Amino acid sequence: MSLQRMESTGWGRTVRSVSTEYAPQSIDELQEYVRDGKNPRGFIAHGLRRSYGDSSLNIGGITIDAAFLSRLEFHPNAPVVTVGAGVSIRTLEKASLERKLFPPVVPGTGLVSIGGAIAADIHGKSHHITGAFSSCVKRIQLLYSDGEIRDLYPEGPTADHFWATVGGLGLTGMILEADLQLIQMNTPSVLVEETRVNDLDEMLTLLSASDETFQHTVAWIDLSGDFRGRGVVGKGNYVSQELSAKQEEPTKSKNAPTLTFPKIGPFSLINKFSVRAFNEMWFRKPLTRGVSSIDSFMHPLDQIQNWNRIYGDRGFIQYQFVVPEGNEDFLAHVLVTMKDLGAASFLGVLKKFGKGSPAPLSFPKPGWTLALDIPAHLHNLESTLNSLDSQLCDRDGRIYLVKDARLKPEFLPTMYPRLEEWRGIRNNMDPRGMWQSDQSRRLKLC
Amino acid sequence: MLNAFHSPQSVALLGATSEIGQAILKALPHDSLNTCYLVAREPQRAAKTLKEVLPDRTKLVEIDFQAEATQTHKAVVDQLFADGDLDVAIIAVGVLGNNPDVDESANALDVMTVNYLACANLMLLIAEKMKLQGHGQIEIISSFAQTRPRVDNFIYGSSKAGLDFMARGLNDKLEGTGVSISILRPGFVRTRMTKGMSEAPFAVNSDAVAKVAVNLLKGDERIGYSPAVLKYVAYVFTLMPTKIFKRISNR
Ligand SMILES: Cc1cc2nc3c(=O)[nH]c(=O)nc-3n(C[C@H](O)[C@H](O)[C@H](O)COP(=O)(O)OP(=O)(O)OC[C@H]3O[C@@H](n4cnc5c(N)ncnc54)[C@H](O)[C@@H]3O)c2cc1C
Ligand SMILES: NC(=O)c1ccc[n+]([C@@H]2O[C@H](COP(=O)([O-])OP(=O)(O)OC[C@H]3O[C@@H](n4cnc5c(N)ncnc54)[C@H](OP(=O)(O)O)[C@@H]3O)[C@@H](O)[C@H]2O)c1
Repeated sequence: MSLQRMESTGWGRTVRSVSTEYAPQSIDELQEYVRDGKNPRGFIAHGLRRSYGDSSLNIGGITIDAAFLSRLEFHPNAPVVTVGAGVSIRTLEKASLERKLFPPVVPGTGLVSIGGAIAADIHGKSHHITGAFSSCVKRIQLLYSDGEIRDLYPEGPTADHFWATVGGLGLTGMILEADLQLIQMNTPSVLVEETRVNDLDEMLTLLSASDETFQHTVAWIDLSGDFRGRGVVGKGNYVSQELSAKQEEPTKSKNAPTLTFPKIGPFSLINKFSVRAFNEMWFRKPLTRGVSSIDSFMHPLDQIQNWNRIYGDRGFIQYQFVVPEGNEDFLAHVLVTMKDLGAASFLGVLKKFGKGSPAPLSFPKPGWTLALDIPAHLHNLESTLNSLDSQLCDRDGRIYLVKDARLKPEFLPTMYPRLEEWRGIRNNMDPRGMWQSDQSRRLKLC
Repeated sequence: MLNAFHSPQSVALLGATSEIGQAILKALPHDSLNTCYLVAREPQRAAKTLKEVLPDRTKLVEIDFQAEATQTHKAVVDQLFADGDLDVAIIAVGVLGNNPDVDESANALDVMTVNYLACANLMLLIAEKMKLQGHGQIEIISSFAQTRPRVDNFIYGSSKAGLDFMARGLNDKLEGTGVSISILRPGFVRTRMTKGMSEAPFAVNSDAVAKVAVNLLKGDERIGYSPAVLKYVAYVFTLMPTKIFKRISNR
C-alpha cells in the first residue's frame, strides 16, 4: 500500500498542508482502506490540484490520489463516455476529438480531473448556453465512507446524493467514474472573434449582446493602470463542416506546454510595472479573427506551465464571485477597490452566467462572474476582501469555493442558502464524518 | 485553520490576564478570529478587557486555571480542542517571585512551579494535541534573564532557562509534524510584573514585545528578542569572562 507523508498546496500556493498521501493501486484496495478508516482527521480525494485554496487538502489526515482511476470508454451507439475520475479534461478532449465528439463544458485549463470537475461543478465559456459541468453528467459512481460503491443518477431515488456530490467538494465521497454526454463536433476548430473594448460599460454590453449569437464568450479585463475595465472580449462558435472546408487548416496547437516557470523562491515577479507593461501589450495584441484550434481557444494558459510560481512564496488569491444582473456598479466598485489596493493583475476574467444547476453547492447562477488573481502579500488585502464578501452577501452574490482559502464561515449560509439542505444529505451519506478537508474545517462546512 | 493569509481562526491565551499576553492577542490579525480561549485564574477579568479590543464576532471562552494544580492541566488543555482545531497557543503565565511576605525558598518554589513546571507541562500537552491535528503554533514567553545567572534573579532566570531549553528541544522533535514552538525572550517590560522596580537598560512597553511576538509567529525564526538588540547583548554576555560579567550585572 502506498502511503507517504507530504506537504501539498493548492494552485494559489498560499496554504501548505502536511498530510498522508495515499495512492491506491486498485478499487478493491481503496474500498477496504476507506471502510477501515481510523484516522480521526478523515480523508479527502484529490485530482490535479488545480483548485486554488484548501479544497483538496487535509492537514493531519489522509489525501487520496484519484490518478489511478484512468478508465476511458466510449459507448458504441451514443455520444456518451464512461470516464475514470482521474482522467484529465485534456485527455478526454483529445480522445473525444478523434471520434468527432467533445465535452460541452470545459474549464480554462485542460489540467482538471473529471472528479474535480464534478466536485466543483465547474463552468466554461459556454455557461450561458450549456450550464455547468453537471449538465452533461449522466451517472456518478461514488465510493461512500462505509466502503460501499453506488451509482448515482440526476433523477430518481439517488438524485439527492447525486446533486449533493455535484459541487460537493469531495465531502460526500470519492467519485470513481462518471458517464458524460458529449456533443458532436465536426472539426476541432472554433471560429473566433475578438474585440477590444475601452471600459467596463462597453465590455458588459458587448458580452451580453454576444451571448445571443456565440456559443462561447468571455472577456479578459485589464487590472492595471486606471482599472476602468478596458479589455478584450473573446467570442467563438464551433466550426461546422461546410465552413471549415472553406477555411484554411487551423493552426495546430502544441500539446506539450512550451514554457516552464522556474522555482523563484520568496520573490514575486508581480509588481505594478511588470503587470502594467504586460497588460498594455496584451490589450494591444493583434486580435484573433478567424478559425482557431479548439485547444488554444479553450485553454490559452496551458501553453505555460507552473505560471502560478510567478507570485513567489506567499502565493496568490484568486477572488472569483458572481453577482446577479443589476449589480454592475459592484463590478465597478471592485475595480476601484483593486486600484486603491495596488492589486495589479494579469488575470482578470469576466463572464455572464446563464442558469444555475440543481446542486445546492454549485457556484454558477445567473449574473456576472469576475475572477481576479491577486498576490497574497498585499497589505490590507484580507480585510478588503472580507468587506467585499459582506457587500456580496447584501447583493445576493457568492464566491466560488474551489478558488477559496480565506472566506469567513459566517458568510457561507447567506452565499449558499441551501447549505443546510446539503449538510443534511451529506450527513446522511457520511454519518461518521470521514470525508473532511482543510476547507471543510475552516468553513465549518460539515 | 490558518487561512491563505495565515490568519488564525482560534487562539488560546494561557495567562489571559497577562499584560504582555493581552498585547500579543491585540496585535494578532483579527480578520478571521472566531474563537479565543482565555485561560486564567480569573478569566472573566481577562474577558472584560479583551471584549473591548477584539471583534464582536470573536467568541470568548473563559477557562479557569491554577498553575500549581498540575493534575488539572490536561482537562484544561482538552477544552481548547473540544470545538475543533486550535491554531495558536500563547503561554504567558509567569511570576517574578519577589513576594515580600514569604521567605526565599517559598518564592523559589512558586517561581519554579509556575514558570517551569506548569508552563512546560502546558506546552507538552498542547503540542501533543496539535500533533494529532497536524498543525499549530505554540509561543512561550521565556526571558532575557535566562541568558546567564545573575545574583539578583537567577531563580527566575533558571525557571525561564528550563522552559526555554525544553521549548528548543521540543521544537526540534516536532519537526515535520506541522507543529512549531516560538520562543519570545523579552528584556525588561513595563508591566504589572515589574511595577515599582527600577528599569533595566533597553526597557520596552508590552506593545513592542507584542510586535516581535506576532512576527515570530509569521516567520521561520524560532527565537525572538525584544528589543531586538538584546540578541547581541545576550551574545556578548555569554562570552564575557565571569569577573567582568559579575561586575557589570551587579551594578
Ligand atoms: C488555470 C486554471 C483555470 C481554471 N479555469 C476554470 C474555469 O474556467 N472554470 C471553473 O469552473 N474552474 C476553473 N478552474 C478551477 C478548477 O476547474 C477546479 O478547481 C477543479 O475542481 C480542479 O480539478 P482538480 O482535478 O485539479 O481537483 P483538485 O484541485 O485536486 O480538487 C478540487 C476539489 O475536487 C474534489 N475532488 C477531486 N477529485 C475528486 C474525486 N475523485 N472524488 C471526489 N472529489 C474529488 C477535491 O476533494 C476538492 O474538493 C481553473 C483552475 C486553474 C488552475
Ligand atoms: N514584564 C517583564 O519585564 C517580563 C520580561 C520577560 C518575560 N516576562 C514574562 O512574560 C510573561 C507575562 O508577564 P507580564 O509582564 O504580562 O506579567 P503579568 O501581567 O503579571 O502576567 C502574568 C500572568 O501569569 C498568571 N499567573 C501567575 N501565577 C499564576 C498561577 N499560580 N496560576 C495561574 N496563573 C498565574 C497571571 O495571572 P493573575 O492575573 O491571576 O495573577 C497573569 O496572567 C511571564 O511569563 C513573564 O515571566 C515578563
